[in-house]
Amino acid sequence: MNEVFTLAVSAILLAGFYSAMAYGLGLIYGVLRIVNLAHGGIIMASAYLTWQLFDHFAIDPFLAIPIALVVFFGVGVAIYLGLVRFLPRGPAGAVQSLLLLFGVWLVIRNIAYLLFTGNEQVIHTEYATSSVRILGASFSVARIAVFGVALVALFALHLLLTRTYLGRAIRAVAQNPDSCTLAGINVERVYVLTFGLGTALAGLAGVLASALFAFTPSFGASELLKSFVIIVLGGLGSIVGIATGAAVLAFAEVFSVYVVPPYLTSAVGFVLLVVVLVLRPGGLFGQRVLR
Amino acid sequence: MAGFVVALVLLYLAPVVLPISEYLHNIVGLTFMFMAAALAWNWLGGFVGQISFGHSAMFGVGGFVAVRVTLALELPFLVAWLIGGLLAGVYALLWGHPTLRLRGPYFSIATIGVGEATRLIATYWSGFTGGSSGLSLPLAENPTKYELYWYGLYLLAAAVAISYWLRRSRIGLGLLAIKEDVEAAGDVGVNATLYQDVVLFLSGTVVGVCGGFYASYQAFIDPQDMFSFDRSIGFILMAVIGGIATVLGPIWGAIVFVIIQEFLLANYSELYLGLYGVLLILIILFEPQGITGLAQRLRRRIRRPARPPAVAATAERSTV
Repeated sequence: MNEVFTLAVSAILLAGFYSAMAYGLGLIYGVLRIVNLAHGGIIMASAYLTWQLFDHFAIDPFLAIPIALVVFFGVGVAIYLGLVRFLPRGPAGAVQSLLLLFGVWLVIRNIAYLLFTGNEQVIHTEYATSSVRILGASFSVARIAVFGVALVALFALHLLLTRTYLGRAIRAVAQNPDSCTLAGINVERVYVLTFGLGTALAGLAGVLASALFAFTPSFGASELLKSFVIIVLGGLGSIVGIATGAAVLAFAEVFSVYVVPPYLTSAVGFVLLVVVLVLRPGGLFGQRVLR
Repeated sequence: MAGFVVALVLLYLAPVVLPISEYLHNIVGLTFMFMAAALAWNWLGGFVGQISFGHSAMFGVGGFVAVRVTLALELPFLVAWLIGGLLAGVYALLWGHPTLRLRGPYFSIATIGVGEATRLIATYWSGFTGGSSGLSLPLAENPTKYELYWYGLYLLAAAVAISYWLRRSRIGLGLLAIKEDVEAAGDVGVNATLYQDVVLFLSGTVVGVCGGFYASYQAFIDPQDMFSFDRSIGFILMAVIGGIATVLGPIWGAIVFVIIQEFLLANYSELYLGLYGVLLILIILFEPQGITGLAQRLRRRIRRPARPPAVAATAERSTV
C-alpha cells in the first residue's frame, strides 16, 4: 500500500512537469496548425542555458526561469520571422513546416555538440539530493519545487489566455483566422507572439528538466514525443485537458514498473498513444484530432 | 522505359569497362541500396504525403531477420534478404495499420515513437540482436562487396519499377487523391486504408531488403546502428534533397547524401547533423522539390527563349 502511495505521488509530481512541457507544443499547434518539431531541441538548449548560468554566474536554476523565458521568447520570434513565416498555410505547409523545424532541431543539436560535447551534464545544486518526508515516504525537494513552478506557470497562462486582449486574440485566431482579420485583429502578429510564447514555454520546460534529469545534446526527443502524446490524450482546448493528459501519461509510466522492465518505460507513452488512437480516434474526450 | 533499360545495361556493364577503384565500386554498390531505400521511403512520404520518421525500424528488422535466418538455416543470402524484407513489411503493417489513419504531423510523430520503441526493444533484446555487441555474418555464405554491386543494381531496378507502377497505375491516382483529401478520396470510391496499407507494406518490405543488403555488405550489424534515428533521418534527407514526391528524385538525393557522407564528412564528422539541418531548411524554403525542382527550373529557363508557351510540356514533365 505504501509503495502504491509513493508511486502515486511521484506520478502527480511528474504530471506537473509534463503539463508544463506539453503546453508550448499544444499552443503553437492549436493556433498555427504547425507541430513544432524543434520543441525537444528548445528544451535541450534551455537545459544547457540553465547549466551555463549556474556554472558561470551561480544563478540558481529556479531563478534562471525569467531569463530562459525571455531568451527563448526571442528565439521563437526569430524562428517564426526568419523561417516559418515563409511557408504556405494548409496541408502542404504542414508537411513543409515539419521538415523545416526538424532541420532547426538538427542545427540546435549540432551547435550543442560543438559547444558542450556529447558528455552528460547534471546541475549540482545544494538541494539536489535533499528530500522531504510526506506521510512516511520521501520525495526530493527539486521535484516538488518543479511541480510548484509548473502549477504557477499553468495558472499564469490560463489568466493570460482568458483575461487579456492578447489571450482572447490568440484563442480567436485558433478558431478562425479569417474572421479575426475582419474583426481587426492583426493575425500575423498573433502568430509571431504565439510562436514566441510556445517556444518560451519549451524554454521553461528545459529549465525544469535540468533540475530533474541529466542531459546531453540528444535530450529532448522523448520529451517531444511525450508532449505530443499528452496533446493527443488531452486535447488542445484547455488547461484541464492538458493536465489530464499529462496525468494519464505520468500514471501509466510510473505504474508500468509493475508490468514491463524499466528500460521500456519510455515506450509506454507511445503504446498509450496507439491504443487510444485505435480505441478512441478522437482522443480521450472525444474531440476531433484528425484534421 | 527505354531510357530505364539503357541506364540499367550501362550500369551493369560499367564496372567491367571503366577502370574505377575497388573502393569507389563498392561505394557505388552501397549507393544503389540507399537509392532503393530512399525511393521506398518516398512512396509513403512523397506519394501519400505521410512523412515517416521511423523507417529505420524496418531497415533494422530486415537486417536482423536476414542475418538470423542465414545463421540458423544457412539459406542462400537472397532468400534471407527476402524473408527479412517480408517480415519487415509485416512489421510495418503491424504498427502502420492503426497509425495510418492519422494524417500529417500526427502520423509523423507517431512514427518517431515507433522508431524509438523499436530501437529500445532491439537494443535490450540481446538474445535476438546480440545487444550492444551485434551480430557477425559468416564470410563463406556471404557475397563479397564487389559482387554486391550487381545485387544492389537489381534492388534499385525493382524499386524504380515499383515507383513507376505506383505513380502511373490506378493506385497512383488513388494515392494522389488520398494526399489531397482523404475524405473526398473516400467519397469517390478510393479505399484509403487499403491503398495506404499496400504502399506501407511495399515500402517496409523494400527497406527491409535494403537492411538485409546492408548486413551482407558490412558482414556485421549492431542494433544501435541499424535502428538509429539518424538512419531514419537519412531516408528523409535523401528523398527531400532529391525531390520529395517525384518519381526518381530520391535517386539523385541518395547520390548527394552518399557524397556528403563518404567524402565531405569523413573529416568533419562533428558537423553532419548541422549540415543536414541547414540543407533541409534551405531546400524547404527555396526549392521544396529539391534537385528535381531545380533541374526543372533550369530546363525551363534554357528553353523559354525558344518556345514561350511551354506550359503544357512542363506540366507533362513535372510528373517525372
